[in-house]
Amino acid sequence: MSPGVERRQVGMVRAGVDVGPTNTDAALLDDAGRVLATVKVASVPDDPVACVRAALGALPPHESAQVAVGLRGAATAVTRRRGLRRVAVLRISGESGRAVRPLSGWPEDLRAAVSAGTATVAGGGGLDREDWTPLDRDAVARFAASAAGAAEAVAVTGLFSPLDGRQEREAAEIIRAEAGDLPISLSAELGSIGLLERENATVLDAALSGFAGAVAEGLAETLSGLCPGAAVFVTRGDGTLMSLEHLARHPGLSLGSGPASVLRGAGVLAGLHDAVVADVGAARVRVGVLAGGFPEEAVRGAGIGGVPVGLRIPGLIRVPRPIDPAELAEAVDRLQPGPARLPLVVVGGGAHAVPGGLHPAHGLCAGAIGAAVSPVGGQYERIVRLPSAAAREAVAEEARAAAVRAGADPRDVALVEVAETPLDYLPGSFVRLRARAAGRPSHL
Amino acid sequence: MDIGTGLLPAFARGCAVLGSGGGGPVAIARAAAMQALEDHGPVAVVRPGDLAPDTLVMPVGTAGSSAVMSERICGVNEPVHLRAKVEELFGAPVGAVMASEIGGANGCLAVAWAAVTGLPLVDADGMSRAFPGMDQTVMELHGVPPTPAVVCDERGRTLVIENVTGRWLERLVRASLEAFGGQVATSEYILRGGQVAACTAVGSVTRALRLGTSLPEPLITGKVAETSGTILIEGLGRDLGRLARIEAGSEFHAVIEDGAPLALVPDVIALLDTRTEEVLRVEQIRYGLRVSVVTVPCDPIWHTPAGLRLAGPAAFGLAGLTGEGRPS
Repeated sequence: MSPGVERRQVGMVRAGVDVGPTNTDAALLDDAGRVLATVKVASVPDDPVACVRAALGALPPHESAQVAVGLRGAATAVTRRRGLRRVAVLRISGESGRAVRPLSGWPEDLRAAVSAGTATVAGGGGLDREDWTPLDRDAVARFAASAAGAAEAVAVTGLFSPLDGRQEREAAEIIRAEAGDLPISLSAELGSIGLLERENATVLDAALSGFAGAVAEGLAETLSGLCPGAAVFVTRGDGTLMSLEHLARHPGLSLGSGPASVLRGAGVLAGLHDAVVADVGAARVRVGVLAGGFPEEAVRGAGIGGVPVGLRIPGLIRVPRPIDPAELAEAVDRLQPGPARLPLVVVGGGAHAVPGGLHPAHGLCAGAIGAAVSPVGGQYERIVRLPSAAAREAVAEEARAAAVRAGADPRDVALVEVAETPLDYLPGSFVRLRARAAGRPSHL
Repeated sequence: MDIGTGLLPAFARGCAVLGSGGGGPVAIARAAAMQALEDHGPVAVVRPGDLAPDTLVMPVGTAGSSAVMSERICGVNEPVHLRAKVEELFGAPVGAVMASEIGGANGCLAVAWAAVTGLPLVDADGMSRAFPGMDQTVMELHGVPPTPAVVCDERGRTLVIENVTGRWLERLVRASLEAFGGQVATSEYILRGGQVAACTAVGSVTRALRLGTSLPEPLITGKVAETSGTILIEGLGRDLGRLARIEAGSEFHAVIEDGAPLALVPDVIALLDTRTEEVLRVEQIRYGLRVSVVTVPCDPIWHTPAGLRLAGPAAFGLAGLTGEGRPS
């Protein structure tokens, strides 16, 4: 038997890596999702690329077709206010957004670390085409001129841009022409309706562009040496994967990705699509929910570093260690989606401290395994009047396209859901349509 | 008394409680009030009895969708447009601002808009809580005409409504909402200083401030055990073994135990997350939440026959329930 045939029999091998603050875990899985090997190495502080190199190097020799990396560095950068770029913040809203200025309510030290000035200019939209006002291009140019030199990145948030992102793109062109090649984050590509939370997410996304660019470049270089030919992905907060190029463009999407891949890994190890998961770490337990194979999102909005953000990140309850069993039981109960109780899966380095629940094998490396098995995802949301089959299909198509842009194989992308939420206090006709799609990573 | 940035958080929390589970997103309105108080300084709160009899009092508020307000977070000039039109219609200067609805976002917006206009805020409001209908006001019960009423948006696009009843005002404003993009600022039931003490819910602002720092003992503390159709609260701790049902629409309308109401609209019903102390809106209720259920009384006028007809249990589809604790 030639080595080539043998390799084909082994099938496609996938590696997953979870870069934590103390340890970095790596796992090797076969095509069927069976765990072939796991390792745990000490993390190299502030050097995620070195962590990935060390962990992959500690695995038995393999030829992975795919490597997926979970980075917690983005959230750490925000919470520690380190390695953040200074961001010029542009809001396109005219009068309609003046009641609350950009960066209002931010912790003073985070604002000081991030803000390179803010401006609100005329433009932006409404629910209705007729309610859009033209973009004040001159004001955008003046903003760009003041940003040049002072800012290292730009965040642009347009009123109702999740319905139509054209003015944000128009503003980005003007900024590029005036201020040169600054990274520009556009809110329509990140979040949904909810101006302040989407703007906060966009500013953090821009602030993280330096971190993300360096990591994407470092990972690409390291992995082309270590795993030549492997497709490389990073995890994101909604429990899916994205390509390195996508990470470099949308670093904010990696916020919340650490807990998201733990939830997914725990589900895979326990053979469950729906479960409550307790990730027992050294200092605390994080309890979250897996629903239909995907991490359940924070219901009442998510926060990063003291700032509310409109990002899809897992809803978690944190229980400190030493564990008060009553407190943990309450957290698990709070997260149950209904009276039909979901099983509890316990993973993480301290899992032995929680006697109940399922303790799957390899639970120590749930994050790395979750990264390895996650699909590539995309989502899209818009508000429509009287949702028709055509509108639903259009939103679904945008979600599929978003997944493909993030690196999914277009032949395999499937719709996860199209959710419809009526808007309250409005006479019946407006509905928020939100679609999520996911598919196998593309190996092109 | 003044409301400045120091008192605002307590006031906003009180407004959230008086929202009775409705009244829109307080967080945005609170942020708007914070900015207005930072930019313009504290707002003077005046007692109704201290108003000159002929002072023109402008009730203010917004109508629309919470989802729209989460995006279109308001401008700063709505009260300026409202005031200009009200002064034109009445041929007199506006001397004070009043909250149309103390409960929910509108209570905080009244503070923001008093700050922006530099006008004092009357310690009173039109509802003593939040209600879904613009006509569900104490002024309506006292025969204060709802019109002329002014409807505008942050860009100053303005509509004047005249010669209609409260019910028709509600109907016309709802009809205009879609054209306005889902959100409007309004002033209706405009009145004179001499009418305020008799025709409004007096003391609402100071009451919100008090509720923001101290709440009555809960009716029941427990876990949300059912949310489909009806909300069930399963007692925990010292309430172990108790079971309460909550009826809700845009607001919480009734808390029922053993077939009898513990609390009932028009009184205020608030649910608080026991972990975060956050005041919850109807749409935020999820299975598994640990909540305490609190009630505070509405203005007594809502318990008169006319008050109950306009905003009592029957107005919210709960005709079989009465406040006396027995099915009628």
